[in-house]
Amino acid sequence: MALTSVQSFYSPEDSKAVIELLDKHEDSALIVAGGTFLHGLVSRGLLSGIEALINIQKLGLNKIDISSDAINIGATTLLGQLKNCPEVKEQAWLGAIKDAMEYPPTQIMNSGTVGGSISSSCPFFDFPVSLLALDGNVQAEGSSGSRDIPLEEFFAGLFENSLGSNEFVTGVRIPVPAGSTTSAFIKMETNANDLAIINVAVCLSMSGTGDCEQARVFLGGGVGESPVRSPSAESALVGTKVDEEAIEKAGEAVLNDLDPLSDHRASAEYRKAMGKVLLKRALASAMQRLS
Amino acid sequence: MKQIIELDINDEVHELAVEPYDSLLRTLRDKAGMQGTKKGCDSGGCGCCTVLVDGKAVYSCMTMVMSVEDKKITTVEGLPSEGELDPIQQAFIDAGAVQCGYCTCGIMMATKQLLTDNPKPTEEEIRKGISGNLCRCTGYQKIVEAIQLAAASY
Repeated sequence: MALTSVQSFYSPEDSKAVIELLDKHEDSALIVAGGTFLHGLVSRGLLSGIEALINIQKLGLNKIDISSDAINIGATTLLGQLKNCPEVKEQAWLGAIKDAMEYPPTQIMNSGTVGGSISSSCPFFDFPVSLLALDGNVQAEGSSGSRDIPLEEFFAGLFENSLGSNEFVTGVRIPVPAGSTTSAFIKMETNANDLAIINVAVCLSMSGTGDCEQARVFLGGGVGESPVRSPSAESALVGTKVDEEAIEKAGEAVLNDLDPLSDHRASAEYRKAMGKVLLKRALASAMQRLS
Repeated sequence: MKQIIELDINDEVHELAVEPYDSLLRTLRDKAGMQGTKKGCDSGGCGCCTVLVDGKAVYSCMTMVMSVEDKKITTVEGLPSEGELDPIQQAFIDAGAVQCGYCTCGIMMATKQLLTDNPKPTEEEIRKGISGNLCRCTGYQKIVEAIQLAAASY
């Protein structure tokens, strides 16, 4: 980690102080918490003008609040805290998050944060893809107040997002779905400590008669500059029982929406082939969870 | 611009001059003179630099030193107590779980958290517990055996 341009490291204790620092330093400030992806950003040459690091770990945002209509996860909640949250462990509709938390090694679970995973806006990460399937919102705070940004509108390309220059992420909010909902996530990786070759998250809402009323299908990990949604796969699922036949059709349909990248991890062709396989597995896993 | 900070390393307070961008790894090795913690990839990919912060294993190369000023840091130098090797260290010797040795300190620190949280892990739990640490020599078998041996005395 050679961020030698950094002159100051702040650990403010409330969000007002954070915003004042953001106003003061403008584009030369970077919000940090676990710092897990700092190196990743530095090595890609994305932090050359950074002079101030603003550590938000003292804001008391490392908590998970659960109400009847939403789960609010504070920005500095560690991935390990999320993994151990009883609702995440037990509820079928949060299955995609439970699955995503199975992959990182201990050291990342102990330092990586929910807010960092989102605001890094790295398309190769796992948690954001699971959160997209669950229709999560990003909570941001800035000098003009706080606002919720649907995660789908938050990502704006490779390492880019729609945050204003004096805004920072304070947490994420996941609406509790009505009725019978289930979700799942699967990642393909080269080893236990690598970014995804491709990953898939699905969320299915089923009616009382077992018909799929709503489907959300997202893929990440080298499929594009941001995670992508697959409306074709979703249409192939809605109205079906998500049985073997429907899963097969969704697997074919997802190919219409995939135009992945080729890089050192995998070729575009391989990613497409695996996107189909992983989607089918994730759908089967989500349905299994419901029964 | 250098700042003086106090760091609690292995239950001893060290006063150190650090840059605001320094990693915990660089601080431990180059400023506190404790070179048991190894620098491998320096980017969170290999686990050689694993230390405990408040008892939890983290990559010290990715940890900003300024963010752990009020935390307790444990390095491999802090594993022995009262002059006796920790059972984990003894088990790595007894099982012959070391070849070149470069990954060993990091793996022992990951093991420390694993056995503290789960004193009787299954083989699968052991392999998962050290999945953030790479060893390019041993093929992991002897390391897993060492952790099983250490678990027997935990």
